[in-house]
Amino acid sequence: MIFWIVAALLTVGATLMVLLPLTRRIAPPAVDSQHDVEVYRDQLVEVNADERRGLIDATSAEQARAEIGRRLIEAARMAAAEEAVVRPVKSATREWVTLVTVIAIPALSWALYTNLGSPELPAQPLAERLSKPADQATPAELVARAEAHLKLNPDDGEGWEVLAPIYLRMGRPADAVTAYRNTIRIRGDSAARQLGLGQAMTQAAGGKVTPEAEAVFRRALELDPQDMRPQFFIIDGWMQQGRLTEARDMIRELLAKAPADVPWREQAQAALTRLDDQIDGDAPDVSDVERTGPSSAEIEAAAGMSGQDRAEMIEGMVVSLAQKLEKSPDDVEGWERLVRSYVVLNRPNDALAALGRAKQALAAEDAARLDSVAAELGLVDAPEE
Amino acid sequence: MMVELGHFALILALVLSLAQSVLPMLGARRNDERLMAVGTPAALTVLALVALAFAALTMANVLSDFSVKTVFENSHSQKPLLYKFTGVWGNHEGSMLLWVLILSFFTALVGLFGNNLPQTLKANVLGVQAWIGTAFLLFIVATSNPFARLEPAPIEGRDLNPILQDIGLAIHPPLLYLGYVGFSVCFSFAIAALVDGRIDAAWARWVRPWTLTAWIFLTGGIAMGSYWAYYELGWGGWWFWDPVENASFMPWLAGTALLHSALVMEKRSALKIWTVLLALLTFSLSLLGTFLVRSGVLTSVHTFATDPGRGLFILAILVIFIGGSLALFAWRAGTLAPGGLFQPISREGALVLNNLFLTTATATVLVGTLYPLLLEALTGEKISVGAPFFNLTFGPLMLPLLAAVPFGPLLAWKRGDLLAVGQRLMTAFLIALLVTGAVLYQTSASAVLAALGIGLAAWLMLGALTDLALKAGIGRGKTGAGVMLQRLAGLPRSVFGTALAHFGLGITLLGIVATTAFSTESVLVMRPGESIRAGGHTLRFEKIEPVKGPNFTEEQGHFTLLDDAGAPRSRFIAAKRYFPVREMQTTEAGITTFLFSQVYVALGDTPAPDGAPDAGVVVRIWYKPLVTLIWLGAVAMMLGGICSLLDRRLRVGAPARRSLSSGSLPAKTAVAKTGAAKTAQASRSVQS
Repeated sequence: MIFWIVAALLTVGATLMVLLPLTRRIAPPAVDSQHDVEVYRDQLVEVNADERRGLIDATSAEQARAEIGRRLIEAARMAAAEEAVVRPVKSATREWVTLVTVIAIPALSWALYTNLGSPELPAQPLAERLSKPADQATPAELVARAEAHLKLNPDDGEGWEVLAPIYLRMGRPADAVTAYRNTIRIRGDSAARQLGLGQAMTQAAGGKVTPEAEAVFRRALELDPQDMRPQFFIIDGWMQQGRLTEARDMIRELLAKAPADVPWREQAQAALTRLDDQIDGDAPDVSDVERTGPSSAEIEAAAGMSGQDRAEMIEGMVVSLAQKLEKSPDDVEGWERLVRSYVVLNRPNDALAALGRAKQALAAEDAARLDSVAAELGLVDAPEE
Repeated sequence: MMVELGHFALILALVLSLAQSVLPMLGARRNDERLMAVGTPAALTVLALVALAFAALTMANVLSDFSVKTVFENSHSQKPLLYKFTGVWGNHEGSMLLWVLILSFFTALVGLFGNNLPQTLKANVLGVQAWIGTAFLLFIVATSNPFARLEPAPIEGRDLNPILQDIGLAIHPPLLYLGYVGFSVCFSFAIAALVDGRIDAAWARWVRPWTLTAWIFLTGGIAMGSYWAYYELGWGGWWFWDPVENASFMPWLAGTALLHSALVMEKRSALKIWTVLLALLTFSLSLLGTFLVRSGVLTSVHTFATDPGRGLFILAILVIFIGGSLALFAWRAGTLAPGGLFQPISREGALVLNNLFLTTATATVLVGTLYPLLLEALTGEKISVGAPFFNLTFGPLMLPLLAAVPFGPLLAWKRGDLLAVGQRLMTAFLIALLVTGAVLYQTSASAVLAALGIGLAAWLMLGALTDLALKAGIGRGKTGAGVMLQRLAGLPRSVFGTALAHFGLGITLLGIVATTAFSTESVLVMRPGESIRAGGHTLRFEKIEPVKGPNFTEEQGHFTLLDDAGAPRSRFIAAKRYFPVREMQTTEAGITTFLFSQVYVALGDTPAPDGAPDAGVVVRIWYKPLVTLIWLGAVAMMLGGICSLLDRRLRVGAPARRSLSSGSLPAKTAVAKTGAAKTAQASRSVQS
């Protein structure tokens, strides 16, 4: 409300500034040529001064005076003529213009503002937002407050511990990794903290269980062997790497050891069935690498390989797929496999490049399909700076 | 509320500006003084409203109000306070608002201090200023609104481009804009003359202070920008012929030409039409400069704006104002009466020569700047026109001009005697020759071009001094030192202005030649404790240590410059800064100045990947002899401009107003020039 009052006052003030001169009688100023007369007089004085200082000699001074004098006489004649021109005191045009102006200034400015402005939105200085009572603050504001607090007290383990899972939920995994590491540094190790750290690392790597994350999950498992969650992440990691038989064997072992009524039994059973299918036959695979085209025999072979060899094999498959697509680029599924493989190999730049090439080569609707794949994989162009 | 009030004020300013662009000019056509009288109060109100908007935006920046989109995109809560202020114009939207703020400031000045202007001229000038204001306000509101909001507001901003987080941003853009926009007043005067079909006798006198003011600011802006690029980019270069630099240099060249041609027009009523054209061209080049930088057609350090929609809008402004003004010129220039005649060898002739060279130089820079852009737009081929082109075209054009500079002020108006002037300059010429010879001797004749360049610089400086000495009466009969000093003090200030500006030109030239010819550069890996020779001094690398700044972390390399005895002469720090929010790194050059020369150190990468402390770092070291003279010369030129601006002559008296009961003869034109009293005061005293 105050805003509208101030805005109205501004409008009235601005309109008046234009209106007043239009309605007030003013003394008619000197005619234009009178100004010229003034200037020429000035110039005469100046020529005299220059002559006195010896900057010009007497002859040129005389010439200059004559030249200026001629102009002076002409200007004075013009001034007299201009004096005779009648200036309108009453003018219909002016009255119309005044009316239009007085209406147009408020109307135009308010119309424009109501279209463009956000009058209902208050100013939100950061300090004010961060000192609001906690129950009125948005989650983001609360996080910012906690961050400000931790910046000053970086050894407040409790603070880090509270913040860490929130970061994870807000989709800021890198910050979550820092927060979990700080928690562990200050408050010591625990299964829950290691699990959270592993989750954060996995999320930060775009869903990929990296070797470092796997080590963290193993540590969580050591601290609490009863918790199955770290185990599942590790199995997930194996499946991503194509170590399907290892994964299958582990799930079997877990199922055998677990009591009959564990809540995860059904899911594990389903996963097992899928893995069985993949390893035995040609059913579609959940593991991204398998989609790039290795046969189940190759996967079996891969499962038995060392990490180094396996990586080379996968690399080789990806390269051959990429070459194939260079030759026949109208293969949507091929492009999709390639992009997914790059993501799994944690090579987001190559994935983006492949996406770009694919979009050039493919028709619009196929390109759109790839876009949705990219969105699903969380593949976005880094913001350009 | 403040943010939205700022937004509202901006829109109100646009609407009022529209009124200001119509009413006074209508009044001028209909000879209606009430309509004309709207100009000044409207201009003052627009200034107040734009200032309110600017204050609101500044407040949002300082208080980190991330509900404002530009603040979110260009600020960060941890950013140092100074950069929260300067960050207001460190982005496209804010810098356009600054542009308009300065424009409305100049317009208001014309309104306030224009009491001595003929009223039709004043009304037309204010009207044209408002056209420009309206166009730019519309541009801001339509495409670059600094008050766009975000809901919900993010909790943290994206920070300002680290390259801009420097004191340079506080000074360079405002100075540059004061220069660019200052020329708008000259433009408006020119358009007003064309619209009205008459050039008042004092037109040049009114235009010259504005030209001077704009020119002073633009000189400062360019010099500051050059020094900023020199120390911030870490390449050790002070001028890159980068399109953005050229964009500011072209109006400067044209403005310099305008400054000189306006002098002829003022003194001799000659070159009227040419001066009007130059006024149009100078501001057109300022607009072009704004366009080149703002539309994002260039990619360089200044790329803080890229948006094709905006580009088209600015292009439209450009076409309307430049095309329109030139068309108006073609149509109406014939109605302006030609002025006085002069011999080719005369002060006027010298100034025409100056204008010819300066405009040709402007044209070469224009071609070199726009050709690559046009080629890319038309054929898609990307080429870059760099220093070699400009050195081969601009350089040779400047040489004869610089050589001719000392002659100009010594030639008489109307008809001059070249031989006599040559004789008077003989001493200066001989000393300059001696200097050239000395440089040749010192360098064992290996640096002929440098010697000639330094000789030319000496010629310029001595020429300026000769001018002053002759005008003080030295060599004119036997006079005591006291009398000469008295005469010197009695000279018009513009004489000092001329001498100082021409002297400054010589200083800058000396700096350029010395730095270009005698700089040394070395790149090497240094470990803490090691030393190297640079510019006759020993430079010791003390240590490297990590330091945490408010919104960055940096590696600081500490250096000590030792004198010949091995005693420390100065200590300084070169650093590499990392800004985590933008994930960007900047180089903070370490610079130490002794007399006019500098040693410049930039840190490079650590060769060892993990930055083992004893592995050393790559260090680039330049010795730049007399480099600071480049900018000190610009300062001298600015001082010259200020001197000239203070000249009494530029204050034109106003005739007395007619009394309210009109019909009586004009009152006796009272002596409006009361010595040092300012124009405004003078005219007030006349009215009272």
